[in-house]
Amino acid sequence: MAPRRMRAVVAARAEAGEGVAAFVLKDPDGWELPPFRPGAHLDLYLPGGLVRTYSLVNDPAENDRYVIAVKREAQGRGGSAFLCDRLAAGDEIGIGLPRGGLPLGPQPQVFIAGGIGVTPFLSAASALVRQGRRDVMLHVIARGAPPLAERIAPLVAAGLAQVHDTRAGLRPLLGDLLAPFAGTGAAACCGPAALIDAFEAATRDWPADRVHVERFVPPPLEAPREAQDYRLVLARTGGEIAVPAGASMLEALAAHGIDIPHSCCGGICGLCKVGWIEGVPLHRDRALSPQERETSLLACVALSAGPRLVVDL
Amino acid sequence: MDVQELATGDATPASAGPATSFVGVVRFLHITPRAFLPMRAMPEITLVAGKGIEGDRYMVGREEGFYSDRPEDGRQITLFELETLDAMKRDCGVEFGPEEHRRNVTVEGVPLNHLVGRRFRLGETLLEATRLSVPCRHIEEITGKAVFDPLINRSGLNCRILSGGIVRIGDTVRSL
Repeated sequence: MAPRRMRAVVAARAEAGEGVAAFVLKDPDGWELPPFRPGAHLDLYLPGGLVRTYSLVNDPAENDRYVIAVKREAQGRGGSAFLCDRLAAGDEIGIGLPRGGLPLGPQPQVFIAGGIGVTPFLSAASALVRQGRRDVMLHVIARGAPPLAERIAPLVAAGLAQVHDTRAGLRPLLGDLLAPFAGTGAAACCGPAALIDAFEAATRDWPADRVHVERFVPPPLEAPREAQDYRLVLARTGGEIAVPAGASMLEALAAHGIDIPHSCCGGICGLCKVGWIEGVPLHRDRALSPQERETSLLACVALSAGPRLVVDL
Repeated sequence: MDVQELATGDATPASAGPATSFVGVVRFLHITPRAFLPMRAMPEITLVAGKGIEGDRYMVGREEGFYSDRPEDGRQITLFELETLDAMKRDCGVEFGPEEHRRNVTVEGVPLNHLVGRRFRLGETLLEATRLSVPCRHIEEITGKAVFDPLINRSGLNCRILSGGIVRIGDTVRSL
């Protein structure tokens, strides 16, 4: 299938703190890029089939660039090392469509970031400030100079951010940072697990819809309650593919080199009809009759309500 | 297929059914060089017979569209009814702009769904409608708007270009 990805070039690369590199990604012709929400994520397609997800750090109003910041993790799985060590200005890289974003409401907003956890909050804070909001505070807790210091500095100058250097002073108490926002405000946190645990403890009594935690993992796929992670078994070829709940069967097959004809990807054109033999498909299409559904499914929208689904492929 | 040969006759094929008479107008023109990238509004576009629109993703030789791996004459140029945008706002509460539907030409006063199999004039150019467009789920990913269902059966028209030329906003669209 046509890959759901775009081509981008590294228009600029800059060191953005200790072990952190910032990349400005643009369309090869400088065309506008698809829009993104504050705090959105971007998938990067790296050599060897690696896919890595990073927060966009720039203001969503900048419609011709995606800016990401990558901290080199020596103990990581190789994605950040490739990006920090090898990806240079002028290189081309595959990217996905931006997805997700932070829930931002009209209430006063405090962001608590640990180190590189500042990334999703920079685009969010920039967007709120551009809207004229002054009831925003970004707290960045870091050992030494924070990552992306140049992007944080204008917010500090405007009185909308504070950097807490734990090498130079005491670690701030989360209760103190949150206190001005308790009652009427909203709070979000991103950083190491210990910081998130402390944040969750400190906001335990806050209304759930005004507390948000951003973890260093890709956002989960949205899926109906009945959908399960499942093993997709290919009856003719004997292959098996693990498909997460909510993920597209069509894309899972394509990722394993099995291209089936498809077009609308929304369950109406019927082109990606596949026979099924065993299991409990969640059909979700608008094309098949009840009779057809007994033996067929549309791979673009079908999910599984059981742990195993056998298809006639 | 010999496009020049097709372009020599203005007669509508007999198989297309009774004649549909209309005079409409071009309201918006949009192209984009690659799949997923935003459509850019243009004051005029250049149509090349048998190939596509200069600078657009489906132009033969460029082939950077979402469906370029499945070439089809009808992807040379696509049209959309301005009236559908009005209806989506009125009936579904969805604000959907001419830059978002990802068809090239937004027309007003043209009954697109009646034109499959017919030839008609778009400004100085001659088009032949090959099929109705089908909504595609990736439009929701790009726009973040729930437009897939409201677009069913009114998602535009795919055409091939029999005779090329420049099309401008305000040009007349007319039946033959």
